[in-house]
Amino acid sequence: MDEKKKVILRLENICQSYVVQNGVKDAVENVSLEIYDNEFLVILGPGHCGKTVLMNMIAGLEKPVGGKIFLDGEEIHGSDRRIGMVFQSMNLMPWRTVMGNVEFGLELAGVKKAERRAVAQKYIDLVGLTGFENSYPHELSGGMKQRVGIARAYTNNPQILLMDEPFGALDAQTRYAMEEEVLRIWEQEKRTIIFVTNNIEEAVYLADRIVLLSNCPATVKQVYDLSGLPKPRNMTDPAFLKIRSEVSANTDLAL
Amino acid sequence: MKKNNEMLSAAEIREKRLGVLYKILPVISVLLLVALWLAASSSGTGFPSPIQVWDRTVQLFVKPVKKLSLIGHVGVSLRRIGLALLFDWTFGIAFGVLIGWFPRAKAFFGPLFNAFRAIPPLAWIPLITLWFGIGEFPKVLIVIFGSLASIVVNVQAGMSNVEKMYLDVGTVFNATPRQRLLKIAFPSALDAIFAGVRTSTSAAWMVVLAAEMLGANAGVGFLISRGMDSLDMPLVLTGMVAIGVVGAILAIVTQFAERMICPWTRRKKSY
Repeated sequence: MDEKKKVILRLENICQSYVVQNGVKDAVENVSLEIYDNEFLVILGPGHCGKTVLMNMIAGLEKPVGGKIFLDGEEIHGSDRRIGMVFQSMNLMPWRTVMGNVEFGLELAGVKKAERRAVAQKYIDLVGLTGFENSYPHELSGGMKQRVGIARAYTNNPQILLMDEPFGALDAQTRYAMEEEVLRIWEQEKRTIIFVTNNIEEAVYLADRIVLLSNCPATVKQVYDLSGLPKPRNMTDPAFLKIRSEVSANTDLAL
Repeated sequence: MKKNNEMLSAAEIREKRLGVLYKILPVISVLLLVALWLAASSSGTGFPSPIQVWDRTVQLFVKPVKKLSLIGHVGVSLRRIGLALLFDWTFGIAFGVLIGWFPRAKAFFGPLFNAFRAIPPLAWIPLITLWFGIGEFPKVLIVIFGSLASIVVNVQAGMSNVEKMYLDVGTVFNATPRQRLLKIAFPSALDAIFAGVRTSTSAAWMVVLAAEMLGANAGVGFLISRGMDSLDMPLVLTGMVAIGVVGAILAIVTQFAERMICPWTRRKKSY
C-alpha cells in the first residue's frame, strides 16, 4: 500500500444486528475498513447480505449496535454533511422538478436561491441533463432519474459519496452507459466514492479497490487492489477477465 | 416507410374513434335519463315532466321565492359551505397534520376524534339549535361538523404514510425536524390532502342541503322543503337538478385546482 494515501473514512469493528421474530439476526459483523481520499472503492457482496446496512450506517440512516466510524480522524454519530448518498431506489421527490430535487440539499442548508441554483445547474450540466431542469421525475427515464440522484448528491459538495446499488434498477444497456458516466463524472469531480454492488463485472470495471464481503452476516472476506489495471477498462481484456474470475471464484453464493 | 405511415394513420383513426366514443357516451346517458323521465311522467302519477320542471325553473327567475331567484338560493347555500370549508381547510388540515405527524398527538386526540366522526351531523341539530338558535352560524356549524372528518382523515392518512425513502433523503442532508415536516412530509401528503379537499367539498354540499331543509328561509334545501310543503313537485325537482349540477361543477373545480397546484400527480407512474 502506498504510504502517502490519506485515510478519510475509517470503520472500526462495525456490527449491526436486528431483533427478528425468532431471535436476533446479525447483518454486519466486525467490519473494519480504511477508505482513502479520492479513491473509488467498491463494496461487493452476494444477495441480501449487509451491504446496504453498512451504507446506511455510514450515511447515518441507522446506528450500529457496535463499532465506531471516523471521518477525517474524528468520530461521527449520525448523518454528516460531508457524506452524500445516491440511493438504489433513486428517492427523487415527485413533487419537485429536476432543479428542485438537485438543489434540495442546499435549500435545506439555507443557501440563497441564486447561489444554489448556480451550483445545481453546474451539476445538472455535468450529469448531462441540461434542458430538463423543469421536468418532473415521472417524465424521465430510469437512467435520467439516477443522473438526477447523482447530481443531487454532488450538489451538496460532500467529501464522500455513497452509492448504494445505484444502477440495480436499470436495464443492462443503460447500466453500462451509466457505469461509464459515473467514471467520467468521478474523473472530472474527484471525490471519495463508496459504491455498493452485487455485480462482479461492474465492480471490476469501476473499482480502485474492491472489498469483498462474505454471506450473512457480512464480514470482510478479501480486499483486491485494482490500481494496476488502468481505466477506462475493457470488459473483454484478458487482465480484466482474470481478475473477474478470481473475484468470482471467491464470492459466496447467495441462497 | 410507406407501410409505416399506413400503420400510423390506422392508429390515429383508432384514437379518433375512441375520442368520439368517449364524448358521445355521456350525452347518450343524459338523453336516456330524460327519455326515462318523460316516460315516467306521462303515466299520470303526478310526477312532473322535464318540460314542467323547466317552466318552473324559468318561473323561479320571474317570480322569486322569498325575494331570491334560483341563482340567489344556490348562492346562499354556497356561501354557507364556503364558510364551513374555510374552517375545514385551515383548522382541519392543521389538525390532520398534527395527529398524522405526531404520534403523541394521535394517541391523545385519536379516540375523541373517532367518536366525534361517528356521530352523524344531523344528530347535532337539536343541541346546536338549543345553543345557537336558528341563525346563519348554527347552519354553518352543522356543515362543519358534517365535513370536517373527511378532510382530517385524509390529511392524517397522508401525513402518517410518508414514504421512508423521502425522509431518508432529509436525514442524509441533515434536515431539521421543521424541514422534515414542511419540505418533505407535507408536500408528499399533498395528493392525500387534495383527496380530502374533494371529499370535504362534496360532504359539505350534501350536509348544507339537509341542514336547510330543517328550518331555513333561503338556500336550495329550503326550496325543496318549500316545494314539499306546498305540493309543488316541479319546484322540488328544480332544486334537485340544481343540486346535481352545482355538485358536479364543484367536483370539476376542485379537480382542476388540484391539477394546477400538484402538476406531478397528472400522470402517476413509478418513480
